[in-house]
Amino acid sequence: MLRNFLLTACLALAACGKQAAVSAADLDRPYPPEQGGALVDAMSGEPSGLIAMLAGESAAAAIAANLFNSLLKYDKNLELEGELAKSWEVSKDQKTITFHLKPGMKWADGAALTSADVLFTWKLVTDDNTRTPYGADYKLVLKAETPNPLTFRVTYAQPYAPALDSWAGLQVLPKHLLEGQDINTTPFARHPVGSHYYQLDEWKNGERISLKRNPNATQGQARIDRLVSRFIPDPAAQFLELMADNIDSMGLSPIQYARIFPARPELTRKIAQYKELGNAYTYLGFNLKHKPWDDRRVRLAINYAIDKQELIDGVLLGLGEPIASPYKPGTRWSNPNLKPYPYDPAKAKQLLKEAGFEDHDGDGILDRDGKPLAFEILTNQNKQRELSAVLIQRRLKEIGIDVKIRVLEWASFIGRFIKTGDFDVVVLGWSLGQEPDQFNIWHSSQQDPGKFNFIGYNNPKVDKLLEQGRLELNPDKRMKIYHQFAQQLYDDSPIVYLYAGYGLPAIHKRVKGIDNPAPPAGIGHNSYEWYIPEPLRRTEIAEQ
Amino acid sequence: MIRYLAKRLFWMVPLLVGISLISFLIMHLAPGDITTTEAGFNPKASEESRQKLRKLYHLDEPLLVQYSLWLKRMATLDFGESFAGHQRPVLWEKKDEKGNVTKGMIQEALPITLLINILGLVLIVVAALPLGVISAVYQNRPPDRAITVFVFIGFAVPGFWLALIMMYWLGVVHAWLPISGIHSLGYERMSWLAQGWDVGRHLATPVFISALGGLAGISLFVRNGMLDVLHQDYITTARAKGLPENTVVYRHALRNALLPLITLLGLSIPGLIGGSVIAESLFAIPGMGKLFYDAVLMRDFPVIMGILTIGAALTLIGNLLADIAYAWADPRVRRGVGQ
Repeated sequence: MLRNFLLTACLALAACGKQAAVSAADLDRPYPPEQGGALVDAMSGEPSGLIAMLAGESAAAAIAANLFNSLLKYDKNLELEGELAKSWEVSKDQKTITFHLKPGMKWADGAALTSADVLFTWKLVTDDNTRTPYGADYKLVLKAETPNPLTFRVTYAQPYAPALDSWAGLQVLPKHLLEGQDINTTPFARHPVGSHYYQLDEWKNGERISLKRNPNATQGQARIDRLVSRFIPDPAAQFLELMADNIDSMGLSPIQYARIFPARPELTRKIAQYKELGNAYTYLGFNLKHKPWDDRRVRLAINYAIDKQELIDGVLLGLGEPIASPYKPGTRWSNPNLKPYPYDPAKAKQLLKEAGFEDHDGDGILDRDGKPLAFEILTNQNKQRELSAVLIQRRLKEIGIDVKIRVLEWASFIGRFIKTGDFDVVVLGWSLGQEPDQFNIWHSSQQDPGKFNFIGYNNPKVDKLLEQGRLELNPDKRMKIYHQFAQQLYDDSPIVYLYAGYGLPAIHKRVKGIDNPAPPAGIGHNSYEWYIPEPLRRTEIAEQ
Repeated sequence: MIRYLAKRLFWMVPLLVGISLISFLIMHLAPGDITTTEAGFNPKASEESRQKLRKLYHLDEPLLVQYSLWLKRMATLDFGESFAGHQRPVLWEKKDEKGNVTKGMIQEALPITLLINILGLVLIVVAALPLGVISAVYQNRPPDRAITVFVFIGFAVPGFWLALIMMYWLGVVHAWLPISGIHSLGYERMSWLAQGWDVGRHLATPVFISALGGLAGISLFVRNGMLDVLHQDYITTARAKGLPENTVVYRHALRNALLPLITLLGLSIPGLIGGSVIAESLFAIPGMGKLFYDAVLMRDFPVIMGILTIGAALTLIGNLLADIAYAWADPRVRRGVGQ
């Protein structure tokens, strides 16, 4: 009797917190947009703080993006548009940019948001005492002024085209709450007050951050009332939570997307899978200061010897794209005339022969002047990069190149090998930025230890194009410059573009209003328009 | 006895300094520092600003200077602040002039890890004692064999694999227990009793997993101790006197067989503050293991040193406590200390 009672009590307690099962038909039915509900997602890391200019992690950026506004933002096609700014104009000499703010904007606490806040934020990010790694772009501003509360004007010593992107990246902070405080240690980082769709509700260290709708939002009202981000470091645990309906969304791995989901109808019944262009690409980079990588023919040979489609199929299970320029395919900066180098081992061998590499001693390995063509691929602990290196190793072996692979922990990799230039070939990634300027990565002046042209790329034509691109604020003229730049990179082949993987979000079908297929900016571009119809909502998070 | 204690305590100080120096040097052998890990590969972050940060944290000074700076702070029991963006105090909460309290990182991570480890240890002892005694009493007979096979399976099964299987079976298939985390979403609005129940349900699997691995060691330890004692002459005497078998086993044999267990438990005190990285990552528990692992990957030196120092101090104290407990429990040792 007692045992029966206890058992029932256990089951009842176990069951509470779960909403009544919703049938597939209910989930797939169309619903009109309405306000309310909560969306629970999973993050693998916890932010160190919510002031984006200080916190480097992606988790901080993801949450701060729901709390703070910038002057400008990128639209669904990755073109710039105003956010806090209603409009902006560039002066004739291209040195001055004037932003006109939208009138009547407020912070979440009700105080007015004006150009003084923008000026204050600019002063913060350029202050030498601020522990931010991102000050460089803003220090180029010669003069920043606020002629009136709705106008913010910056003047540069010379035209600086990446400026517009930099103003889309600087989240404006409230002057009235931060003035006179040490930004590095301010409790504001953990109790932020912003101006975007959401405001902080609760932060439980190590567990979760909950956001609630900001009634004073500058960009209108979001439809979902609450966003909860749970910190679950392990991707397998995240997936189990998704299966058990404890979280609504997570980023899938290719295996989960292409193998596990299709095999489990109970998952596809309640969870929708999306595919969006990723924000990064993986490449194989040569140390151009070492022999034989200074020889273009050798680099091209390796490029021809690697089967990119094989990498995409093997590493990403087909969920990625080959690229031929360091820009997102389909956006204006990507040069449509460039096609990835095809897989052509015969041509690779031919090029190596021209460069003097042949198998003179008959051991199966090509050699030149008695030295075999052998090198080590370095990469960090990243499964996709490791797998790519293994597939590349095999293809290069087929044409007689002896490759070894070495996998390192990130900080050792950077500190011991990249900074010192002590490497032959690396497999790494760069982001596919929205801003085309890649001066820091490709300009010959950026080769000192700790700078980002660590492969030692030096092409005066590219240097010139990169300098021109920084001076030109007209998008159409800029586009031509960067198409030429991408063409030069393509011809020189200082790196082999391997692939750009897709982002693979999975979101519970209770969330409606998601663009599918995803535009270039990804599905998140209109997350404020997503909604959760009342009958489909979670019951364990009470409305407040 | 008091002189002995004072002497032991006095010698702990140079020992601690030595341990911390070695830890400090080894920590700095790993290449990279906070500036290479935090925003280290973001092209928008300039090398100049990284140098600025390095200077701020004294990372540009020689190692011994850095160590003496650290030691100077430690002399006043100041564990400093994390290098990470949040700059939280490493050990204990701090109040700023406006009355905002920032909790210490170890202060928040330690209780949960302690709770899991103590529950795990209690579970181990509670399960291992009867298992060990039964094994010894039924030596080489089916109950002994079954128990040995069971504890060795528990010892050999990879914890993360079993954890995932249990999470799937208990959390997804049957939805009996939560999968990860330590609190449910509506925790704040629950009654006091329901809150305890909620935490208990969240901790059930992690505690079980952490106990299973330790069960084999302790139960075999108890078994062998019991076997030694059961073959002593005084046990034969006790049986010859006609005492009931239960009295012989539990009063005469078990008490003596427990002595070595004291040392074992004393040595496990420092282990109590160390969490398992794998279990904590899997169960999304913000404990010490995860804190330490993340700090190492981030090269967050103050946090690494803070945890190592506390661990070292606890190891030394645990040794001391074990010795004292031993002296208390065993008259022979007590006499040796007194001389």
